[in-house]
Order: sequence, then structure tokens, then C-alpha cells
Amino acid sequence: MLVVAAVTGLGQSTTGTVTMSATVSKFVEINSGGAVTLTGNLGGGVTTDGVLNSPLAVSINLGELGPGNPNSFVTARVPLKLRSNAPYVLSVSATVNSSGTSTSRIGAADIGFGLGTVSRTGTGVDSSGTDTNATSGDPTLAANGSVNATTGRYEFTGIRSNLSSFASATTALSGPIIMNAVPRSNANGLTVPAFFAVKPQFFENGTTTISVTFTVTAP
Amino acid sequence: MLNAGASTTFAQALDISSGGQPTITGAVNGSVTGSASVTTDLVVTINFGEVSPLNPNAIVKVVVPVAIRSNQPYQVSVTSSGLINANGQAVQASDVGFGIDDVRPLGGAGKVCTRSTHTIRSPFDNDPATTVTVGTNGRVSYSSSLANVSGSTVILSGPELSKNNSAKRQQSDGYVFDAIFTLTPQFFAAGVSSATLIFTISPGPNVPC
Repeated sequence: MLVVAAVTGLGQSTTGTVTMSATVSKFVEINSGGAVTLTGNLGGGVTTDGVLNSPLAVSINLGELGPGNPNSFVTARVPLKLRSNAPYVLSVSATVNSSGTSTSRIGAADIGFGLGTVSRTGTGVDSSGTDTNATSGDPTLAANGSVNATTGRYEFTGIRSNLSSFASATTALSGPIIMNAVPRSNANGLTVPAFFAVKPQFFENGTTTISVTFTVTAP
Repeated sequence: MLNAGASTTFAQALDISSGGQPTITGAVNGSVTGSASVTTDLVVTINFGEVSPLNPNAIVKVVVPVAIRSNQPYQVSVTSSGLINANGQAVQASDVGFGIDDVRPLGGAGKVCTRSTHTIRSPFDNDPATTVTVGTNGRVSYSSSLANVSGSTVILSGPELSKNNSAKRQQSDGYVFDAIFTLTPQFFAAGVSSATLIFTISPGPNVPC
């Protein structure tokens, strides 16, 4: 006897499944924190100004840096804005090239540099974070420079208070997460001013080009 | 002697399946997989992709069509697991918008009832992509999200769905609704988050057709 049967099982179900996932990568950015302030200059000016929340691309003509400038310092204050969803490091690297050939030409050590007061304010900013400023702040502060008793040259002597400390990428500022969970359209962030200063002196005459790069990373 | 026979397993009184091809928009390195056939089981995998500010889009939106069939009043409920991140700045259930929209006949064999309606339960009766708000803390929220799914949560109910007490799933013998999921790219804490939702159809409140 041969029995042949066919059974049709019809797939139906009272349940269905939806699985989901999402990825959040580390994200950091640096932008301009606003317009540049230039003081103590004789001639010169801000060629390309900072635009709030736009990429940082500033160009400054410091003007006359010889004794013809009677002011104590020529100072440029460049506001920066940083944002991140991870601990960050802000590093700085700089090159200084002068047309002069003697030791009296302007060099990296003659360009004072420092980061000022860090501010974490505004909706969406983690205000509990504590940042570490590796510079000495405003280079024009009395504690950050003096006249060399031997050479007579004014020098920025504070820790990382001039651009010779940043010949290669060097940490200038670091800290914990900056932003809480808010959209990128939220314009707030960590703000900090970058100071550049030169004391007019009997430098060798000529022209000097200074290029500074700010890089923010999430190690 | 030769005996030959055939037997047919009859359809269940309630059924849930794919309602069509799911779609995703606004994603960076994201995707959604599921069947376009309304006679296959509902098995969908959503990868929202990158939801940090690296994603420049305003929102990532996924639409999952879900087909339902019944020979009796029904209800659809959903359970959710996952998205429990200890870091409050990481993606949470409240960051994933979830809503139900556009309940419509699957085709000509969907039963038309005039004495009761197919009711999407509050607060899920919306497209979360249209209900985006920013809270006082700056974080994005929606009228409804996965945070509104607590235990087994009823999201939809109504009268009989199918004209024919069909023995098998057909192309047109029920209704379909859109389950909509949204995620807005933000400065979330870095990491990978996941969740699993289970949709269940069961006998519902006894309402007339």
C-alpha cells in the first residue's frame, strides 16, 4: 500500500519584528567666535575678519612694528568657538618668516601668544566641564614678559607665551565634552580668545609673515 | 491500494505581515531592509546610520508599511526593548520619534466597515517628522517616541479587516498602516545604540463593522 499525502502549511503570523540601530561618532569642530579686535596698530588692519560660527579664516596686517609705532603693544584678539561630543584637544602650530637676515629680525619668539578665558555658556553647552589652558593667557600681561637685562630685547617669557613654543603642533587647550545632545543648528559652544602681540622695537627692517593653524581633535 | 490526500491548514483569524517596501531618507551610511511583498512576514532591520553632527541632514526618517488582516475586531500592540543608555547624553528612547499614519485598505478585499473606525491611539497618531520641537534644554523631542511604549502598548484598533476568511494571505485582503521612525542628528555622546520592537495583532475591543 502506498499512501501519498500533501499538506499545505500557510505562513501567517500574529507578530512582526523591527530592529534598529544608530551610530554616533566622535565629532569636533572649530569656528570663528566673531570679529577680530586689533589695537595698538599703526597702519595695517584686519584684512579678512572673523565671522561668528563660520570657518576660521582670519588675515591681519599688524602694521608698523618698528620704533615708529609709539604704542606699547600691537595686539590682535581672535575669538574662537569650539564644539564637540567627545573630550577634545586644541593644538596650535605656527610658522614665522622674515625678510631680514640678522638676529634682530622678527622671529617666532617675538610674537606673543596665549589663550584667554574659556567660557562654557548657553543652552546645550556642558557648563560643568573644566578645561586646561596650556598657555599663560594674554601675553601682554606684565607677568608674561620683560626686557632681557643682557640684550635689552623685550621677550615673552611666560610658559608657552610666544609662537616659538608652537613650531610644531602643540596642545594649547584641552577638556571634556563641550556639547550636550542638541542639534548642530544650536549655535552655542565653548568660546575662548586667542591673543597675538608684538612689542614695537628696533627690529631689522623688512616684512614678516606669520601663519598660525588651530586644530581640534577628539583623541 | 493507493491513497492520496491533501489537507489545507486554514488561516489564522489574525495576521500581521509586511505592508510593502520600507524606505529611509536623510541617512548617512544608513539603510533599511524588509520585503516589498505583502505576503511575507514582517521582519525589518533599520540602520539609522550616523546621527552625530557628521550627518548634515535635518532628520533621518524611516517609513515601515505594516499589513494587518483579521476576521474579527482587532488591536495592534507594540513592545520595545533596548535604548537604555546610562549616559543621559547618549541616544535614548525619547530621541527616536515613533508614530502611526495612513491606515488604508490593502486592496479590494479589505473590509469596509461603516459603523466603526480604525483608531490610532494617542499619542501615536502623527508623523513624528512633522512634530519636531526643541526643548528648553536644546534637545529635540517629538509628540510621540519610543519612550511612550511602556510594556505592551496598544497603538491601533478597529473592526474586522478582511472580507474573505481566506485560507492564506492575499495581496488585497486587509489593511496597511505606516509605522514611522525618526532620529534627529545631534551632539549625542559617541557610541552605538540599538532597539527591538515587536508588533502584535490580537483580538480587540468588540466594535461593530
